[in-house]
Amino acid sequence: MKKCHITFQLNGMTTEVLVNPNQTLVRMLREDLGLTGTKYGCGEGDCGSCTVLLDGEPVNSCLVLAAQVDGHRVTTIEGVADGDNLHSLQASFIEKGAIQCGFCTPGMILSAKALLEKQPDPSELEVRTAISGNLCRCTGYQKIVEAIMSTGKSAGECSSSNEEKCQGEG
Amino acid sequence: MLLPKFDYHAPANLEEACQIMAHYGDQARLLAGGTDLLIALKKNRIYPSQVVALDRVGELKGVGIDENGLYLGARTTAAEIMEIDFGPGGEALVQAASQVGSPLIRNLATVGGNLATAMPAADMAPPLLALQASVILERYGDQREVELKDFFVCPGEQVMLPEEVMSVIYLPQLPESTGGAFEKLGVRKALERSIVSVAAVVSLAEDNRTIVDARIVLGAVAPTPMLATEAAGSMIGKKAVAKNFAAAASIAAREARPRGLRTSAVYSRLMVETLTIRALTRAFEAASK
Repeated sequence: MKKCHITFQLNGMTTEVLVNPNQTLVRMLREDLGLTGTKYGCGEGDCGSCTVLLDGEPVNSCLVLAAQVDGHRVTTIEGVADGDNLHSLQASFIEKGAIQCGFCTPGMILSAKALLEKQPDPSELEVRTAISGNLCRCTGYQKIVEAIMSTGKSAGECSSSNEEKCQGEG
Repeated sequence: MLLPKFDYHAPANLEEACQIMAHYGDQARLLAGGTDLLIALKKNRIYPSQVVALDRVGELKGVGIDENGLYLGARTTAAEIMEIDFGPGGEALVQAASQVGSPLIRNLATVGGNLATAMPAADMAPPLLALQASVILERYGDQREVELKDFFVCPGEQVMLPEEVMSVIYLPQLPESTGGAFEKLGVRKALERSIVSVAAVVSLAEDNRTIVDARIVLGAVAPTPMLATEAAGSMIGKKAVAKNFAAAASIAAREARPRGLRTSAVYSRLMVETLTIRALTRAFEAASK
């Protein structure tokens, strides 16, 4: 089994790794690179806890070989915040109580981030569809949906403009 | 779950991919989206000594159009298919692609992989059969075209030789007054293997009421996705009205060959009937627009 030398962009940094061909992306991230924010759940693409962004699109990293990301862009939950400043989605998850055990949260946030980049003002259905590959066994999803919707464009505009006016309209 | 050991190849083009497959034959497996292959490897269902990833093979991506129809690269993902305008009848394929797995799976899973794994419940097979698709199979120094209706053999098996690579799926241009629809029944909305699925494609005469051509394809109710030819044939020359849709649907339910594995055969047939009526109704609406 010949090792593969790969070069890819990981959270904005050029990264070179020597991987076994039978290494999945999630295992390389967690075990070789120490990025344990990406969780390993079912290993079959059903639970979504290993979600990462591959060239900006959310995928199950348990169903991608590490060697396949050669030349591509990978974003994990560790690459979402800007230093100590949380991404608005992360702040919103905390504010809305959308985290209980936290195991699904990295995947939820990455799926939501990909959605908001394409559709800054999503409907509830769009939000629920976007996270339909991410299972949560704690929250019942409602607070997660609320957290994502409140990060959306119209919610953002609301909080940044006159609050009283928004409440009046709401 | 660990993967068995194998050597990894990432050919840069189709010719190189065919060369590798010609060399290793049935010791090698093609890796397209990986959503089926990696699970099969993890569960020790297959033990290839070589895995050949098609990521870099540009010829297998995207869409081309000529005067006769449309060529869809076999490595096009379900998510990408959702964004393509396939012309008359193509709604059926877009609707099916949008119901594959989950958004995470749709960003990986490819149309070629969905066909090549040859599962009776594959979402994209019924619409492609209804759209009269054929697949181009390449091997080193040779190429052949296989109509999709002759492609599937039994669950998990199709006619591809170990050294062949599916390059494109060819969709003939259908008449302007054609519409398509896909219906899927599962117990949940995401990550669900169909209990029953139905694709319908209907072409109308100039009066926008008379059916001149129809195809009904049933998924998950036979060892392979199957054309309900008698049901579709019963509609030719008839008016596109609810009574005729219902009559065709009851023939389709009879044509289905469910084995009663996941649900009872009786229930499967009832659902074939219901879903066929819905698919025909929506295909007609799309055709008459």
